[in-house]
Amino acid sequence: MWKEFKQIRRDARTLAVLFIVPTLLMLFVGLAVNFDVTHIKLAILDDDRSNQSREFIRSFINSDYFDYSFAIHSQKQANELLDDGKVAAAIIIPPKFSDHIVKGEAADVQVIVDGSNSSTASSVVGYTTGAISSYSSNLRTQALQKMGKELYIPVDFRPRAWYNPDLSTIKFQIPGLIGYMLILTCVVATTMSIVREKERGTMEQLVVSRITPFELIVGKLLPFLIIALMLTCILLTISYFVFGVAIKGSIVYLLSTIFLYLICALSLGLWVSTISNSQQVAFQIATLVSTLPSNILSGFIFPIRSMPVPVQVATYMTPARFFIHAIRAIMLKGVGIAAFWDDWLAMTIFASFMIWVSIRRLKKQKL
Amino acid sequence: MKTIIFIVIKEFNQLKRDPRLRATILIAPILQLLLMGYAATTDVNNISLGVCDLDKSVTSREFVRSFVSSGYFTIERDINEYKNIDRYIDNGSLQVALVIPPKFGEDVAAGKSAPVQMLVDGSDGYTAGIALGYAGQIAGAYNQQIFQRTVDRSGVKPNFGSVNSDIRVWYNPELKSKNFMIPGIVAMLLLLITGMLTAMAIVKEREVGTLEQLIVTPIKSWQLIIGKLVPFVIIGIFDVILVLTVGRFWFNVPMRGNVLFLFFCGGIFLLSSLGIGLFVSTVSHSQQQAAMTMQFFIFIPFLYLSGFTFPIDNMPRWVQYITYAIPLRYFLEIVRGIFLKGDGFLNLWREILAMFSIGVVLLVLSTLRFHKKLE
Amino acid sequence: MPAIEVKNLTKKFGMFTAVNDVSFDVEQGQIFGFLGANGAGKSTTIRMLCGLLAPTSGQAKVAGFDVLRQTEQVKRSIGYMSQKFSLYNDLTVEENLNFFGGVYGLSKSKLEERKTYALGMSHLTEERSRLTGTLSAGFKQRLALSCSIIHEPKVVFLDEPTGGVDPVMRKSFWELINTLSDEGTTILVTTHYLDEAEFCNEIIMIDSGKLIARGSPNELKTEYIKTPILEVECSDASAAMTQLSNEKWALEMSLFGTALHIQVNNTESAKKELQRVLGEHGISISRIDSIMPSLEDVFIHLIEKKAA
Repeated sequence: MWKEFKQIRRDARTLAVLFIVPTLLMLFVGLAVNFDVTHIKLAILDDDRSNQSREFIRSFINSDYFDYSFAIHSQKQANELLDDGKVAAAIIIPPKFSDHIVKGEAADVQVIVDGSNSSTASSVVGYTTGAISSYSSNLRTQALQKMGKELYIPVDFRPRAWYNPDLSTIKFQIPGLIGYMLILTCVVATTMSIVREKERGTMEQLVVSRITPFELIVGKLLPFLIIALMLTCILLTISYFVFGVAIKGSIVYLLSTIFLYLICALSLGLWVSTISNSQQVAFQIATLVSTLPSNILSGFIFPIRSMPVPVQVATYMTPARFFIHAIRAIMLKGVGIAAFWDDWLAMTIFASFMIWVSIRRLKKQKL
Repeated sequence: MKTIIFIVIKEFNQLKRDPRLRATILIAPILQLLLMGYAATTDVNNISLGVCDLDKSVTSREFVRSFVSSGYFTIERDINEYKNIDRYIDNGSLQVALVIPPKFGEDVAAGKSAPVQMLVDGSDGYTAGIALGYAGQIAGAYNQQIFQRTVDRSGVKPNFGSVNSDIRVWYNPELKSKNFMIPGIVAMLLLLITGMLTAMAIVKEREVGTLEQLIVTPIKSWQLIIGKLVPFVIIGIFDVILVLTVGRFWFNVPMRGNVLFLFFCGGIFLLSSLGIGLFVSTVSHSQQQAAMTMQFFIFIPFLYLSGFTFPIDNMPRWVQYITYAIPLRYFLEIVRGIFLKGDGFLNLWREILAMFSIGVVLLVLSTLRFHKKLE
Repeated sequence: MPAIEVKNLTKKFGMFTAVNDVSFDVEQGQIFGFLGANGAGKSTTIRMLCGLLAPTSGQAKVAGFDVLRQTEQVKRSIGYMSQKFSLYNDLTVEENLNFFGGVYGLSKSKLEERKTYALGMSHLTEERSRLTGTLSAGFKQRLALSCSIIHEPKVVFLDEPTGGVDPVMRKSFWELINTLSDEGTTILVTTHYLDEAEFCNEIIMIDSGKLIARGSPNELKTEYIKTPILEVECSDASAAMTQLSNEKWALEMSLFGTALHIQVNNTESAKKELQRVLGEHGISISRIDSIMPSLEDVFIHLIEKKAA
């Protein structure tokens, strides 16, 4: 085990990479990642050119959500802008717009949305329809006021968000980001270092020295565990000072969850090392097995409940899923163990299974 | 020229011997496809809803039904006491809780305003935001309905105009995420195979010591570079074809543009990815280093900053400037444009030019560096 | 014209001088040995001669081509075998040969001819489809050698070619080298096995980057060691050495396995003194022989002389 430490220390570059890069990345990504859709670029075609239509257009300009980028004069222009990706949506005001409104009829405004970016498109649809319908209800309110009546709202709908009232993206991204960084670092680093020994043949030396597989495993993994814990502390500190993400819940729970997760990650790395013969392959498999699931199946970015059922079942095999769920609970909700004991259990089962499988493979390979 | 062919033959012989490597070249794309196609969805539905209906009147049930029939919400629990809501939101089994007060039906019938609370778990901000949006729409529509009924009943014909929005979604009418994600895989895969595998193959020779043996021979460094890159380009093309086929015929991702044009743009992208791979191989002493460098310094930043999942337009200005230097950003726009919009050269020439310039610079710089390192 | 000409060759890595002003010539067809401890500068020198490394100062010509200015031609005229037997372990024997042959531009028929020769020479004709990684060190060594001479180069550089190979294979390897030399190939070998150096026509010894000795094995032995050497086997050699360290007649001493080598002026008187001193300290002697100095003796003598 000390040898591992010494090796790592000597390889200063790897050390730097293990620490500095995740940190930098977190800073970077934390600043860049944002699901909120704003500054939607619009092109507006006004075929009516009345006071009413100008007022309608103004409601868009005044909104923070939209950037009125192009005033166009033909459908063809709209097509071009959409094809080139220069605008996210084109609004087309028909010629008899104000006529309809004055007569008390409904006027149809066409909204063409670029659907190729599905993650923003639904927001664009939502915001534009929302803007239009609030304009519409403004018209109604004005008309009612003229009649001396007030708008009656049957249901006074009061939504409130618990735990993250501003719904700030960063607050719920940070746990996922940390989870991803950790699992990537752990799995890849441990796998590669173990396979490197295999390739160099020093593995045989270790085996000859009559260490039990268990001691071997502990000796190899412990240094990485410590490094990973240090890394975590750094990441958490950054998320607090730079992004203002405070830990509502108990630090003990937090660290325990992280510890468990790290064990899972390391055991995964261990298992990958037992099935790879060369470093090239080891890396491929390690990445495949750690990053893809942690990014996609963990609930980090994509909501699990929206996935097809078989895929949802698959997410149960990703330690990151449990980690993110537990961490969000601890960091953002500040709740007690009742909320995430099942996550802890799941992670323990995962890690134990992985270690058991690895030991069996190691034993077989030894002979 | 013949030398290059010999190098390529050697590479392929080596590659065909490593069955696990072969498997990952095949399995990785398929796995990514499956995940991206089925799991990576930004659509939000099946939101877990808990209903705390303290009224239990016909009206309240009608209100609740409007949520369910929208298709976005799924009722997971009926809660009897308000204070129990805590537990379920805490442990995550409910994402949203609807609280209907005791006199709901009465108030609505009497023409009074009835307060309805909706509690949303903000810890998953993305879903929460969208859930709130949907809920707002549903409540608004319900209000409209009730209002209309009241107006109709009172017999008064109010005279006011309204504006309706007629929404058309182009290119991806059902807003299917997979149509957005799967073209992206083509790009990422190309980067992975031609960038990373190339880097590792070169570094492996350095590690094992055969690189030295190669330098002693009359092989020129450009011959070596080309010889090493060609097999991976071929593999990359193969994988791209694989993804295209599966994407088109299994996932029904529309392919409206010209496939050959796509390959042409892919070729330009190769300049960048090969340049990156080559560069990484010159700064790494071991395969492990090469791998980590690729992952941490290239892949992850690219993943986040290229517009692969997160829209670039939302990022702070200064970050957006940085994204201009990332070749993947342009390639993604190109790939998606070709797939979904049927874009051609006239629509995309700006992106192609940008990609080309970056690629040439990268490739030239890294070749120079590689040449220097050999000496 | 000599096959290899080296004049004042120097290589510095920052403050560290790896090769210090080395000069020598190698005639065609000679087997030239480069002796020295690990890290003495042997590999660095060879790499400069192969065009792998640029010298800091000095000149070198291989097969008549300047290593700095005519590197291309140098590369075409030489063969190189590194310590690690740089072969592709995941290629078969035949594939390795095909590759290197192709890279040196051999025509198809020539390649076939050379392949047959190479396979025969390495005793691998039956094993041509075997994965190189599965070969034992001895066969790998022969294969590496045949790959390095597949294009019939005029000069061959072998860097520690016998590492990790059993003595029987080592001896047959040297027989191979002799055959090559008979055919006119110039061979430069580095080794730290001093017993092997006996097979070379001429040797230079390097220590800390400097050339400390040069000549044929016999010349070296007679020139540097003018006085006889006694080989003594006794019950406790190290104790004996300690006891004899004060004796003036024991000029130089070193341990060789369990035996003691003592350089003396007069064998007869030395033998008597030896028996007396060791007898006084209870060390029994089983054998005293007067032996021919080996290169090892020469080397140690030179090192110690330098240190003195």
